[in-house]
Formats: sequence, C-alpha cells, structure tokens
Amino acid sequence: MNRTPAWNIVLGVVVGFFTLLIGLPFWWVVTGSIKAPQEIIARTPTFFPHSFTLQHFDKLLSSSDYPVYLANSLIIASASTVITLLLAVPAAYAFFRMRFFGRETLYRAILLAYAFPSIVVLIPLFGMFVRLGLVDTLLGLVVVNAAFALPFSIWMLRSFFASVPKEIEEAAIMDGAGVFVILRRIMIPLIAPGLASVAIFAFVMAWTEYVFASVLIISDVKRPIPVGFAGIIGQYQIDWGLLLSGSVLAILPVVVLFGLVGRWFVRGLTEGAVK
Amino acid sequence: MLRESGILPFLLVAPALLFLAAILGWPLVSALLLSLQNITIIGSEGRWVGLSNYQAILGNPGFWKAAGLSAVWVVANAVVQTALALAAALVLNQRFPGVRVARTWIVLSWIVPTVVVVMIWRWLFSTSGGMVNPLLMSLGIIDRPIGFFGRPWTAMGTLIFINSWRWFPFLALMMLAGLTRIPDELFEAARIDGAGAFQRFRRITWPLLTPTLLVLAVVGTLLSFNVFDIIWLLTAGGPSGGTRTLPVMIYETAFKGYRLSEAATISVMATLLLMTFAVLATRWLAREADER
Repeated sequence: MNRTPAWNIVLGVVVGFFTLLIGLPFWWVVTGSIKAPQEIIARTPTFFPHSFTLQHFDKLLSSSDYPVYLANSLIIASASTVITLLLAVPAAYAFFRMRFFGRETLYRAILLAYAFPSIVVLIPLFGMFVRLGLVDTLLGLVVVNAAFALPFSIWMLRSFFASVPKEIEEAAIMDGAGVFVILRRIMIPLIAPGLASVAIFAFVMAWTEYVFASVLIISDVKRPIPVGFAGIIGQYQIDWGLLLSGSVLAILPVVVLFGLVGRWFVRGLTEGAVK
Repeated sequence: MLRESGILPFLLVAPALLFLAAILGWPLVSALLLSLQNITIIGSEGRWVGLSNYQAILGNPGFWKAAGLSAVWVVANAVVQTALALAAALVLNQRFPGVRVARTWIVLSWIVPTVVVVMIWRWLFSTSGGMVNPLLMSLGIIDRPIGFFGRPWTAMGTLIFINSWRWFPFLALMMLAGLTRIPDELFEAARIDGAGAFQRFRRITWPLLTPTLLVLAVVGTLLSFNVFDIIWLLTAGGPSGGTRTLPVMIYETAFKGYRLSEAATISVMATLLLMTFAVLATRWLAREADER
C-alpha cells in the first residue's frame, strides 16, 4: 500500500500520541525511581533525571518484605498458569474437536462464568475457604486465579484447535492412537502458540490480581506483590521514592516475560478473538 | 471436523466444569442463600428472613445512587475505551516501521498490577511533583493546580480515564483481530473505483467491523462493571460517595459494615442486572447477525 504524505503525517501523529499515552507514565516512574527525594516532588518536574540514586531500591529491599512478596507472586502466578493449562486444554479439545450431547449449552455456561461479578463470589468464597482451611494459603489464591482465568482461556484456544487439519487426527486414530497420545503428540505441538498465549493470560491475571489476595491472605509473609505493595502505601508517610522503586520491581518480571513471549500472546489474542 | 466419541468428551470437559462449579458456581448459590437470611459476620448464625433484605435494599436510596453511578461508569468507560481502542487498532493495522513492536507493547498498561497502575496515576495526578497539573497548565487548559480526587465529578472522570488507560489496549488488539479479517481486495477495489480514505473507512471498514464492535461492547460492559480495585484503592468510593459504584458498595457493606446478608443481597441484584443485560445483548447480537 502506498500512502500520500498527508496520511503519513496523520499516522505519525497518532502513533506518537499513543506512544506518549502508554510510554510517558512508565518513563516517569522508571526515571523517578532513581531520582533524589527532593527532585521527585519538585514543583517543576524534570523529564530527564538530574540526580541518580539507588537509595529507594536499597530502602525497599532492606526495610520491607519485598523479596518475599516477589517470590509469593511468582509461585502463585506460575502455579495458577499450570492449573489453567491442565484444565483448559482437555476441555477445549473436547469442545472444539468433538461432538457430544449438551456441548453448546456447556460451552455457553462456561462463557457466562466469565461475565458475572467477581465481587459477588468473594463473600461466600471467603466463608467456604474458612471451612476448607484455604484462607491465608497460597494454594487458595492459586485456585481462585485459575478459576477466573479458565473461561477466557478455553475461548482463546478455539481458533488454534480449529486450525489443526482433521486429516492428521484421523490418520492417528487409524493407527490406533488414544486420545492422550493424540493430545500430547499431535495437538499440543501444533497449538503451541495458543498454549503460550493462554499461559501469558493466566500469568498476567494472577500477577495483577489484588482484591481476592487482599481478603484471603492475612499474614505478611504470604502476601503477593499487589497486597504487599498496597501495604507499603499505607504503612509509611507517602514516600514516593519507595513507591516508585516498588513499582519498577513489580513491573520488571512481567515485562521480561512479555519480552520473551509477548508476540505469541498478541497472535493468540488476535487470532482467537471475537467469533 | 467433529466426531462422536461416547463418554470421552465428558471426561475431558469434567475437570474444568467441576472446578468452575466449585469455585464460582457454588459461591453464587451461597450468595443467594445468604441473601435470604440475616447474617452479619462470617461464621455467625442467622435466621431465615425471606425477601425482607430485598425489600430493604430496594427502599435504600444509597443502592439506587450506586446503581446510577455504575451505569455512568459503564457507559463512560465504553465510550472512552471504544474511541481510543478503535483509533489504536486502525493505526496498528497499517504498515509502519516498528509496528510489530507496537502491537506487542501496547498492552503494557494491562500487564502491570492494578496497584501499580493506581500508584502511577495517583503520583502523576498529585499536586506535589505530579506531571499532569504542570502539563495542563503549560498547555493553558487550567491556570492553577487541580485536586483531581477532591470533588465527586472530577474524581469520577479521573477514575474513568485511568481505567480506560488500563483496558483500551486489550480491546484494541481484539478490534485489530476484526480488522485483519477484512480482505485487502475490498480496499483495492474501492481504491480503483476512486474511493477516498474516509469513504473507504465509512463504506468498508465501519460496516464490516460493526459486529466485532458490538461483541466487544457487551464484553467490555461486563468487564468494566466489575472493576473494583482501581476505584477502591484511589478513592474508596469517595469523595462523599461520588465514586461508590455497586461493587464498591458490596465490598463496603460486607467487609467494613459487617452486614453480610445485605451485601449478598446487593450482589444477587447486581448479578441479575448483569445477566439480564448479557442475555438480552447476546439475543440482540444473534438477531443482528442473522439479518446481515
């Protein structure tokens, strides 16, 4: 496609606008985290930092349980990703490659689960977890996060399963391969990008979740990042340096993960979306 | 493509279904039971009180105010997010240097923990060291710093902006999916027939994208209705109840007011509202799709 110069200018302006809209806040946070305290709250903000200090990171790591929060978050997010995948892949395989009674209804029920207000579940779930002894455990959060990621994950796998040619599967059935062999040897390698996007989705959902973690976790050493971070906000007089460095450390792991596998996620989302 | 396989598909679907039933389905039933009793604190005994909780809620002006604020919240978020996401999706569908990078990293605001989003914007909007006030002042839009969270309507507007900032990239990618399905040949043919860029958008892109937009409007409505953490962490429903949407009211009633049954009642009413909306919207969408 060739474009007129006028179009190129419009395009450039819009691209610039979105780059600033998304990028600028992060630029200010990252640069803010290495500014000296008085520069952070200066009346005329500086775009490029005039000072450099690691004192905020130092204080954060020495005076709070931040490393523990990070570890908890990694455990919770990884475990709920694994559970989501283990539940979503067989279900999606059945939904999108097999015919059975009640298929449409069950699929709709799962999609509906995606729609209802999570806050509604919070109160009864708390009572249920008290009885099961799951309050104040990482396992409890893993279970909740997996449940919330599951409906959308199944939906996302749809187009990936649909794209596997049926001849491959039929040939395998002829050769007498069982369903788990087909799943493991044929389906999973072919839908790997789909698995990657589901994994990222589930990981991000668990990584960013705050409400359930804040209610279901009680002791400080079991807090994931979002709750620990909110605790730092309340615990000190507003110390922006501490909060900015905390933000940077909370962003870093997902950014690294996304840098490695992000393009698969975008592919999965755009190919699986809306149908 | 589909084959009959007896009991096997049920075995494959069962773990996911049972899991969802236990973690989401059963609590929903419990909420319903809770709303018919008068339990205050978790673990305490209650009596069955029939529908009197519902009567009380329907006569409570606070509930109607919260429902109204939820409606404002949902509609405003839908408008702002659709506008931003559509513009972003149209741009991401073009070819320009760095488009691949842009397609991946536009969701940066969505992969970051909500608490961090809240912290970032609280700082940027603050009157000490925040960037927004100086920026608006240098552009001549305002002449002195504003306390954005000080008054109900500016607080609501600011929250809508922050929530839209977090979610629009996700919607933009879904719209991009709809855009990439429009065959290039259509645009080529229109160009040969002498259609300008605006006409191509109006006659091809817009009508072919409408189904996608409608689906996203429904999904987006459900998603933004449920938003709780951003509001709670930034304003906790204030100032003077100006950002107290239904989820905030439910949380407050249950965990600050310790009136569990009342909170469950509001939850059930909210769920009924949402489900009605979802069912009507999907029906309407299906009919639209048939007519096309």
